[in-house]
Amino acid sequence: MKIIHKIPFQQIALLDETFSINFMPDLQSLRSSIKAVGLIQPVLLRKKGDQYQIVCGFRRISVLKELEIREVESRVLGESERNELELFSISLHENLTSRGFNSVEKAITLYKLVHHFQIEPSAVIQRYLPLFSLEPNEKILGTYLSLAEMEDEAKRYVLKEEVSRSNIRRLATLSSDDRRSLLSLIVPLKLGENRLREMLTLLDEIKRREQVIIKEVIDRPEIQAILAQKEFTPIQRTERVKRVLMDLRYPKMRHMEEEFEKKRKELNLPSGVSLHHPPYFEGNGLRIEFQFESVDEYRAILSSLSLLADKEEFREMIKV
Amino acid sequence: MQHTRKSGDQDEIKMFPVQIEKIYLDEKAEKDWGTQHLLKSLPDVPVERVEDKKNLIKQFLSITDPIGMGKRNLLITHFYGRRLKPCPGTSRHICCGYYVINAISNCPMDCSYCVLQGYLNNPFLTLYTNWDELLLEIEGFLSLVRTPLSRLGTGELSDSLAMEPLFPVSGFLASYFAERENGILELKTKSANVDPLLPLNHRGRTVVSWSLTPESLIGEEESGTASLNERIDAAKKCQEAGYPLGIHFDPMIDYVAWEKGYEELVDFLFSRIDPKRIIWISMGGFRYPAKLKGIAEKRFPKTRMFLGESFPGRDGKIRYLKAIRVEMYRKMVKWLREASPDLFIYLCMESREVWKEVFGWSPENSQHLNQLFEERVKKFIGR
Repeated sequence: MKIIHKIPFQQIALLDETFSINFMPDLQSLRSSIKAVGLIQPVLLRKKGDQYQIVCGFRRISVLKELEIREVESRVLGESERNELELFSISLHENLTSRGFNSVEKAITLYKLVHHFQIEPSAVIQRYLPLFSLEPNEKILGTYLSLAEMEDEAKRYVLKEEVSRSNIRRLATLSSDDRRSLLSLIVPLKLGENRLREMLTLLDEIKRREQVIIKEVIDRPEIQAILAQKEFTPIQRTERVKRVLMDLRYPKMRHMEEEFEKKRKELNLPSGVSLHHPPYFEGNGLRIEFQFESVDEYRAILSSLSLLADKEEFREMIKV
Repeated sequence: MQHTRKSGDQDEIKMFPVQIEKIYLDEKAEKDWGTQHLLKSLPDVPVERVEDKKNLIKQFLSITDPIGMGKRNLLITHFYGRRLKPCPGTSRHICCGYYVINAISNCPMDCSYCVLQGYLNNPFLTLYTNWDELLLEIEGFLSLVRTPLSRLGTGELSDSLAMEPLFPVSGFLASYFAERENGILELKTKSANVDPLLPLNHRGRTVVSWSLTPESLIGEEESGTASLNERIDAAKKCQEAGYPLGIHFDPMIDYVAWEKGYEELVDFLFSRIDPKRIIWISMGGFRYPAKLKGIAEKRFPKTRMFLGESFPGRDGKIRYLKAIRVEMYRKMVKWLREASPDLFIYLCMESREVWKEVFGWSPENSQHLNQLFEERVKKFIGR
């Protein structure tokens, strides 16, 4: 059992995050606890040169510092007592038993294991993914490693919106600049999983079709105008942005829809009558629907419909 | 590294598109001629005897890319069940009444858009060696079928000639069809492996067909296939050997430079091939079942195949917008007719409306199109 020392903050390397596995930690309950009863569990430090490196207790030290407490109860390991991987493993297991890991923290851990501690990916898959209750396969490891490489802004979005692994993979295919532009669009929209998938797919396909960067798509005036409209709800904004993206992704279809709509308006159909083209303009034939509440209304509609055959616009619509 | 082998007379046979890593041999197939021929052709490839095919397939399906791995691992076995089936075609569209022969399943080539990626539940490149039973089935079919002339082909579940240097089942079938009066064989390929066919006495009863795509798309989307030049060279050899030729512009792909690409393709084709030796030409816009996109984009992240304006059709398949297909078909018909006004051109899996918009007329139904094919064959090979 290690003796507990009181180590002043100025001797602790607060910026050294070698063993840190924290991302957006929720410190509220820890803060309340420390305020109420003080520090229950000492932190674990390692002597390194004339300073101390934090192994376990990053969150506790952060709260204590915030509360302007000047020293922290610590157990201290000698500089060569354990190697770095062993210390990281202690930190990992301590956190696993004391709290859960959010998805970004899992990503940071796996990234450090592969890139800092140089553990073979196959060993990480077999040994470490099950610790996080993740299926031990290459695809899952790849997903988390790609998340670890994203900017903090993207990581925060992933956490806040609980983005699924398949959408994390989609986000990971974007360049850093594209991802930043994308976040400026999707953060205010508050998208669910399916809507996010749709947006990412549309943007990716527009980008590849038009050979542009995502920023150019998002900066288009019609999208910016929607985002600037303060009276829209997030759902209204999302629907309008999606409409613009669909039009950009399917320009010929948009043109056909517009032409159809133009002709339909020129027909001056009576109220209660609607005219539809076949789904996706596949096949021929139009569909008319109407609604009536009296025999007179019914007769009036039929009479006005019978006149359609003489209209040029109507004939052209049938040919489409 | 690619395989080459020497045939009996030591002529070099065309290259094979992938490195075969292993042969899984079902013991029941061990003594068949096709098996022995293949094993002699690949003496350095390890062979594992298999008793439980189902378990082997199940194990294979759990690896990271079973489709890609399946192309490099051969399964040699017998086929049990019907191997001759009507082409599934598609509902509510006009189909040509073609029959599919299942002699090989899967393909060593790796086209990004290949529907087999989402279709086969056995990922192995599977060679069926019970050829005698296959012939009995074809014989039985031809003796019972009422139509005067049936068209049968092997190019649905695999490329007809990609495996021919190692597994010459197409040559075997061509020799069989040479003796038949009411059946014609079509071999569809994107390879140039025609040398084994050239010396055969085919009597014009085998059509050798190429699926053609503009050269730039071959490089981007049709991995492991022969180049356009190689395909046309091979077609020319077959033309000189008296084979009727078929040409399939299928899938036709909508991309930025499609007009230039396809017009140049038609020009190139007829600069080398005599249009009078072409028995039929088909056109079919790229179409696919919905689940293919996810599978293909995972295997081919750079593919541009799915960037067209495509929507679900009445048969559930995803197709280009009708206006796009019609424009592509019309222009192709124009270029083809300019080269030779008498070409027999048909649309694969299209509706009557599209036929009418492209040609100004339409077959009444699939049966009518089948009759037109019969007339075409009679006129072409003069039976």
